[in-house]
Amino acid sequence: MNTKKKITAIAAAAPQQVAAHDAGDISLHASRLSLALEGKNILRDISFSLPAQGINVLIGPSGAGKSTLLRCLNMLHTQWQGDLQIMGRDVRKWPDSEDGLRRTIGLIAQKPTLFPCSIQQNIVFGLSRKDRNHMPENRIKKVLKQAALWDEVKNRLHDQAATLSVGQQQRLCIARALMLSPNMLLLDEPTASLDPRSRQFIEASLLELSENMPVLCVTHDIEQAKRLGGKIIFMCDGRLIESGDSKLFFKHPNRIESREFLRWSVCDCS
Amino acid sequence: MLNLWMRTSALISLLVVVVMLGFLLQQSWPYWQHDGLNPLLSGDWYPYEHLFGLAAAIIGSFWAALIALAIAIPTGLAAAVMSTEILPGPWRSLMRSGMELLAGIPSVVYGLLGLWILLPLLQSNLHLLTGHNLLAAGLLLSVMVLPTIMVMTQDALCEVSSHQRDTAASLGMGWSARLWRVLLPQAWPGIRSGILLALGRALGETMAVMLVVGSMDRIPDPWYNLLAPAQTLTSRIGREIGESAFGSMHFSALMACGLLLALITITISMLAHIRSDKISVNRP
Ligand SMILES: Nc1ncnc2c1ncn2[C@@H]1O[C@H](COP(=O)(O)OP(=O)(O)O)[C@@H](O)[C@H]1O
Ligand SMILES: [Mg+2]
Repeated sequence: MNTKKKITAIAAAAPQQVAAHDAGDISLHASRLSLALEGKNILRDISFSLPAQGINVLIGPSGAGKSTLLRCLNMLHTQWQGDLQIMGRDVRKWPDSEDGLRRTIGLIAQKPTLFPCSIQQNIVFGLSRKDRNHMPENRIKKVLKQAALWDEVKNRLHDQAATLSVGQQQRLCIARALMLSPNMLLLDEPTASLDPRSRQFIEASLLELSENMPVLCVTHDIEQAKRLGGKIIFMCDGRLIESGDSKLFFKHPNRIESREFLRWSVCDCS
Repeated sequence: MLNLWMRTSALISLLVVVVMLGFLLQQSWPYWQHDGLNPLLSGDWYPYEHLFGLAAAIIGSFWAALIALAIAIPTGLAAAVMSTEILPGPWRSLMRSGMELLAGIPSVVYGLLGLWILLPLLQSNLHLLTGHNLLAAGLLLSVMVLPTIMVMTQDALCEVSSHQRDTAASLGMGWSARLWRVLLPQAWPGIRSGILLALGRALGETMAVMLVVGSMDRIPDPWYNLLAPAQTLTSRIGREIGESAFGSMHFSALMACGLLLALITITISMLAHIRSDKISVNRP
């Protein structure tokens, strides 16, 4: 009787690959995340993990719940059900509260959002007062270089941030997130409305950053997903449909929804 | 057509202001002619001896408004932050309708409440001969201008976009850092307008102040003595205009008080409408 119960439990857990990996090489592990907002199920039973480095692309048609999923990961949405471990720790029991968790995760929103102050003040905005006032120049230079923005702003760090182009603003947002030395980077359609040049810059810097930390980039653009490579996670209608190696996914999608999406860029799961 | 209508009405309202100021200036002209600007510095107001110094009333007006703002600004800001950022929706609208109700109560009612509740309280707790004084006027005014500050601050806070809020939160900024470094600075233009409107109202309020201020023309002595009966520009006009003969020097002096008030409040409301083009937000 007891054994039978155990077997059923294992069978139920098996498709979700619960704890299949060591915490050592896994930075983020989500299992069975679900979220309902205003009585509507937005996310249903999402399970995935991010390895300690490398690029991960979260792809899906618009309205799939990609942005909502990112917001759950850094507790901008808190009402979700399920289990979420980051760096091997349960996010609900994070030692220095949600604010500390959010400093560990760099989340870059789809719309570049800057504060109405200078470029330099924006970069250090998330830091404590002491760090803001005594930030060494070369640290600022480093994050700007990582975000592929240094050459364009090195002579105008004290200009208003709003004078930058949208593409530059998005890279400034990335630099600002990097300033907090996060352990991972989550980006919500970072290039959705940008010029091709800024898009190239951002894609290149994401690939470079992913050598040292996991980067999760949301996109609805199939071509961009192909360019970025790495690991792919395909979502549709609040469900995780398929995940795995990017090249394999584009060559041989397993699920009918994936094939449909790759063909038409839309899919009607619902 | 609409354009024409808007221009006409703008022109008319400008004209009304000019005509009003012109009328006040004309009526108070004998007064200014008599002694120039000297009475602005003198505290002696004895109509029967033809002494019409305005300093006591001017100082009284500013003291009362200052007390009112000193209380209403922190309270109003705290109430607005509480209701927009902390309380759940139903409470928020309850608080807001409460404030709108407060704003709608006629000022004479405030005056009566002050007379019956506030003055006896002050008198017995501070052991005064009378509770009629500047402190009473300031306290009463602070309740009257509180809704203005709170409602304008609420609106200004609501206008701070969710993108800004989420971005600040995503950077791991704590609640107080978000409040002081994002919400309040970005809402500041609206808050400032609210404060200036409240100041205008506090300086211009007549009925309630008249009932509690004591109407004695004395410059506070020492300057911070707020517990003695005093006078404001508005309370003086309200109390004495009925007993002054039209065309007399007394009448002309009261018109001068009116002119001063009009000039001060017009300046303040003009300041409230000027919004700096460059919203400089980050004060490190
Ligand atoms: N705060 C919310 N309340 C209710 N529904 C929401 C909320 N945020 C998002 N949704 C709904 O969740 C679904 C997924 O949205 P989103 O995560 O933005 O999709 P994506 O980023 O994949 O385009 C949409 O149908 C949207 O209407
Ligand atoms: Mg989205």
